[in-house]
Amino acid sequence: MNNNCEQQFTVDFILGICMSILAGLFASMILMTLVMLLPAKVHASEPDNKGINIVKKSEMASGSLLFKTDNLGEYYLAPTLKTDVHMRVNGMVVRTKVVQRFKNNGQTWVEGIYVFPLPEKAAVDHMRMKIGERIIEGKIKEKLEAKKIYAKAKKEGRKASLVEQERPNMFTNSVANIGPGETIVIEIEYQQSLKFDKDVFRLRFPLVVAPRYIPGNSIEVVENVSNFTGSGWASNTNQVKDASRITPPVAHPIMGKLNPVSIQIDLNAGFPMKLVQSSYHEIDKDIKSEEHMIITIKDKEIPADRDFELVWKPNSGHMPRAALFNEQKENERYMMLMVMPPDYKQTVQQALNREVIYVIDTSGSMGGTSIIQARRALQYAIKDLKPGDYFNVIQFNSVTTKLFEYAVPADQVNISQALSYVSALKATGGTEMASALHAALKNNESSGLLRQVVFLTDGSIGNEDSLFSIIKNKLANSRLFTVGIGSAPNSHFMNKAAQFGRGTYTFIGNLSDVDEKMSNLFKKIKAPLLTNIKIQWPTASKVEMWPQRVPDLYAGEPLIISAKTSNLKGNVIITGKRQQQEWKMSLPLVTTTQSNGMGVLWAREKIAHLMDKLHDGTGEDVIKKGVVDVALKHHLVSKYTSLVAVDVTPSRPTAEELKKHAMKVNLPAGWKYGKVFGSLPQTATDSIWDLLLGFLMIILGCALALFYQKESRNEI
Amino acid sequence: MKSKPILITALCCSLIGVVYVSSGLYIQAKALLAQYLLQDAWAQTLAGRARVKPWSWADTWPVARLQYAKGKVDLIVLEGASGSSLAFAPGHLQGTVKPGQAGYSVISAHRDTHFGFLKNIVKGDVLTLQDPKGAGHEYEVITTEVVQSHQARLPTLKGNKGLMLVTCYPFNVVRAGGNLRYIVYAEEKPKDIDV
Repeated sequence: MNNNCEQQFTVDFILGICMSILAGLFASMILMTLVMLLPAKVHASEPDNKGINIVKKSEMASGSLLFKTDNLGEYYLAPTLKTDVHMRVNGMVVRTKVVQRFKNNGQTWVEGIYVFPLPEKAAVDHMRMKIGERIIEGKIKEKLEAKKIYAKAKKEGRKASLVEQERPNMFTNSVANIGPGETIVIEIEYQQSLKFDKDVFRLRFPLVVAPRYIPGNSIEVVENVSNFTGSGWASNTNQVKDASRITPPVAHPIMGKLNPVSIQIDLNAGFPMKLVQSSYHEIDKDIKSEEHMIITIKDKEIPADRDFELVWKPNSGHMPRAALFNEQKENERYMMLMVMPPDYKQTVQQALNREVIYVIDTSGSMGGTSIIQARRALQYAIKDLKPGDYFNVIQFNSVTTKLFEYAVPADQVNISQALSYVSALKATGGTEMASALHAALKNNESSGLLRQVVFLTDGSIGNEDSLFSIIKNKLANSRLFTVGIGSAPNSHFMNKAAQFGRGTYTFIGNLSDVDEKMSNLFKKIKAPLLTNIKIQWPTASKVEMWPQRVPDLYAGEPLIISAKTSNLKGNVIITGKRQQQEWKMSLPLVTTTQSNGMGVLWAREKIAHLMDKLHDGTGEDVIKKGVVDVALKHHLVSKYTSLVAVDVTPSRPTAEELKKHAMKVNLPAGWKYGKVFGSLPQTATDSIWDLLLGFLMIILGCALALFYQKESRNEI
Repeated sequence: MKSKPILITALCCSLIGVVYVSSGLYIQAKALLAQYLLQDAWAQTLAGRARVKPWSWADTWPVARLQYAKGKVDLIVLEGASGSSLAFAPGHLQGTVKPGQAGYSVISAHRDTHFGFLKNIVKGDVLTLQDPKGAGHEYEVITTEVVQSHQARLPTLKGNKGLMLVTCYPFNVVRAGGNLRYIVYAEEKPKDIDV
């Protein structure tokens, strides 16, 4: 009897376990069918700076020459002797020569691969390699052809060098056949234009992979602009004009700390200067005249641990108002036109009242920290409204919901209602952006208010093209500002949407950045100075102008256009709207001076715009052809073209052992990092934990049941 | 009947256990079954339809098929690396190039579902990727590394196309969260000019 009971119990026990498991499976299947497609429970990872840093090769200092050793995957650093940077500033154009001297201290022939950053949109057009007394000049070739030339030379024992673009701001130089004890000198030259904003010129040279660089407001310029005589001083396209639009989540890697750098700047402003300052380093000034000085670093050499920035501004009375620069090159005329809209200070004071429509993405992909960031940004924005402004809040996921039927005055009641509405926003559902755009761009009749749409999203949508056409067709007088939220927003969409929306794109990667980024954005968009800008060229002249659609100008920004023309007679007329008034400026296209580098900068600008089209759905083949044509003609390094230099005579006896060290040209020797894209996504679930815990609980339950069985038997 | 509380506790424990097991199985089952559902969407994608939503309320669509022959792995990759798409499939990180195009394409997945196999991958292994046009690309694993999630960056690509597979690290931790990521770098096998 007892035995029987025992058996009976064992069967019960096993059955119980089986039932539990089956029940679990069954329940999970039911759950499965019911909520098949709800997001899994995912824990947001907390940034933990104390955590161990197991970065391997990625720790290498940037801008160093890495050599492969006999052991695969191991590298040793060539000693860096020195980096010299020579910059010549002429008006708005900078010509920079970066000279890096490296020495091979080893006993064998080596191939070095050198990765270095340059300012964004630097137009790299020359490379020279000096080995001993030999100077090898680089030639521009299509990327693949250049690679082949380099590989062949390397094989034959000839010294060769290959400069390739990895990113628009990051390049690689491969150097083959460096003999034992030899010193290599690499000279890279690039053209660049200066950033001119709020009356201040800024020249930056990236020197380090740094925590995010924040352009300093260290120099506040208070000055009245008197009459400007718009001629003479040379200048170029301001290539950084869209820097505010593309706030890159990237610091530019530069030379490592071991690498001492000397910087010399020949600053020829073209107008009397005042307040020439270095933002982060002490400098010496050798003043030649009030327009010309030579700047050197006080300590002669600095460790490359932070970017170098030089700022200066025109003396009062010499504030540039407009400038035209011109270069004749092979029957073509390249021009850069800079126009400073009048008196931005006044406009700041008379900031227009705005109608701001805030649109917030509350789709499922915004879940986790993204929605927190977005809420915070939106609350900041709403609090920033001034009496007299109108606003509305629209949220969208699978459906679009408006807070108010129409835009309402930004009074206390409405603002607090909006704030509590925003704080209750949750992320769930699909991303039906089209209806949100329609809603945001509706009621577009002119009310005398400045109409701005601030769009907060991670842009995880696929129908970019149809959204772009909505923006294009419905924009009218509105301006669209995109704010990218989360660790990896679809920045192509954001950039292009802002471009079509004639606004700007702001990227917020971290919760801690929200306030700063939003405040910068609002400072700027509160006072657009000049809208609806149109450029009228003299009739009958053939003009290829970049950018093709002129963005609005905000306080302190100059208008900068790069153009190629056949005919330079007559006047160019710039029109725009400045606070309800028509604004017009006419500039004679008569130029006296020849400014070198306009062609190169125009070509670089054109390449940048062509590359943008990659995200329009234009085929890469078409773009590649366009880019290659321009790049070859102007001797520019691009994604599809490289500079290659090959020595005439072989220096390494082919019997000697280069192969051993450099079997493959294409091995990624320098794991340099081009682009930071914030945190990687969370890539684990609690499933294993749940299963373990669940089974443990079931076992515990069964054990208790067993115990209970015994107890009750004892009682009997 | 003094042992009644024991019975109640036993029942409670079992019940909680069942709930947990269900939730764990649910995650696993969703990851597994979704791949079957995605195959149809992928077939339609290959047939030329763009952005085929695998189910009507989906926020994503298949962008590639990733195979690792050595580990008998065959996965459909979805667009976007948000929690909602990673539950069903590996996700292509938006903002990086599309799988199969020039540049580094980043794909991430959960270590306890689709990307558990990454721990067995070694240098020299071959990954095959099929793009929406049906073209196949072979990638060779170059290296693997462990990084902090917020310090990850795209390395310089020496070749033309690269693949970066990301999952959580370490592999044998049972709970989600954590800050480390395991990254597999693979580059398209060079076809020309190498010596």
